[in-house]
Amino acid sequence: MPSLEDRAALQGATVVLDDRTILRGIDLTLGPGVTVIRGRNGAGKTTLLRAIAGLVPLARGTRVVQGDVLYLGHRPQLHRALSARENLAFFARYRGLPTAGIDEALAGWGVPDLPRPVDRLSAGQRRRASLARLDVERCAVVLLDEPFAELDDEAREMLAARIDACAARGQAVAIATHAHEELRRYRTLRLDAGGLVP
Amino acid sequence: MRLERASLVAGRELRAERAQPDGLAAALGLVAILVFTESLLVGPAVAATPQIAAALLWIALALATILALTRSFDRELEDDAIEALLALPDGRDALYAGKVIAATLLLLVVAAVGTALSVFLLDLDVLLPGHLLLVSAVGAIAMPPLVTLYVAISLRLRARALLVPLLALPALLPQLICVSAGVTAAITGDAGASLAWCALLVATALVSAVAGLTIGPAAIE
Repeated sequence: MPSLEDRAALQGATVVLDDRTILRGIDLTLGPGVTVIRGRNGAGKTTLLRAIAGLVPLARGTRVVQGDVLYLGHRPQLHRALSARENLAFFARYRGLPTAGIDEALAGWGVPDLPRPVDRLSAGQRRRASLARLDVERCAVVLLDEPFAELDDEAREMLAARIDACAARGQAVAIATHAHEELRRYRTLRLDAGGLVP
Repeated sequence: MRLERASLVAGRELRAERAQPDGLAAALGLVAILVFTESLLVGPAVAATPQIAAALLWIALALATILALTRSFDRELEDDAIEALLALPDGRDALYAGKVIAATLLLLVVAAVGTALSVFLLDLDVLLPGHLLLVSAVGAIAMPPLVTLYVAISLRLRARALLVPLLALPALLPQLICVSAGVTAAITGDAGASLAWCALLVATALVSAVAGLTIGPAAIE
């Protein structure tokens, strides 16, 4: 049973995609702080985050989310014809948030303030620009899918610091990842063949 | 709030089109080449027949709408940009409605250029230019809701390039009949018929907008 503190919860969540059961009766609550979801390739980590984000329908079970969700998948999810600033400004305006901190957020991630489309940025820079959304949209629930992928050492450290900051602010952060050195101190759940295992 | 969010998606779409105008360029190019080819293929006398000129221009505009919207959704699939939108509050509704608004504005431009090109290339003598503008504008508003719906439905399908025109063109028949007849009446100077077809066109536009807004957001995968 989710408590008042919980930001998001799945109860008995089953996801079936293309006649394959990807998640089986998942019970999961996300309260303030960081939850790391580990598991082998194909265990269903991405689908679990997508289920919390409401991006895949539940065949059975329920999903409850309190507040806005920020879902960052393993691709940058930015419109490639727009600049990094335009992309972030769109998301901020959509959520009714100020756009004043965008330049600072991008500078903080070392993304050059260029008017050109993100199409022309390197994969790593696009990834950094995408992660700058963490600083601009401070949503109650943050879902990160393999966030350390394509990042250099400097950016990995920056991301680990941002995750700490999110937890300190009381945001519920769920991270699906293989990399766990930076995240060893957090609550860790293991997903195997679509089910959570102790 | 929902309209505001749809407007933001439309603004983002138009900003992207301004930065990389490949959708608009493809739509304009298609309409121009079809009008030009038509005048060469059937000869100036037949091509200038109001019914044929109107019908061919609006078939070209329907195909241009499909082309522009397909390109627009293709861009959303790059880097999974669409996922970020769908994960936003009311993201599906805003995405569908925003695409419709942006496509309508683009189609208004393409329809204006296509109509001007037809009048110039085919040497059409338009007796009721005001009626022609009115019917064309309503025609441009009537088509995007359905086309957006079919592009959204077939978003992840491999045979999308074939499926969208196959599904959308028959569904657009009522709009195409009304707009072609209304434009023909405007060219030949039949004000009553032009307005009557325009009224029917408004009705089909309303039906397709309601159907699109009901089904479209849920159809986006």
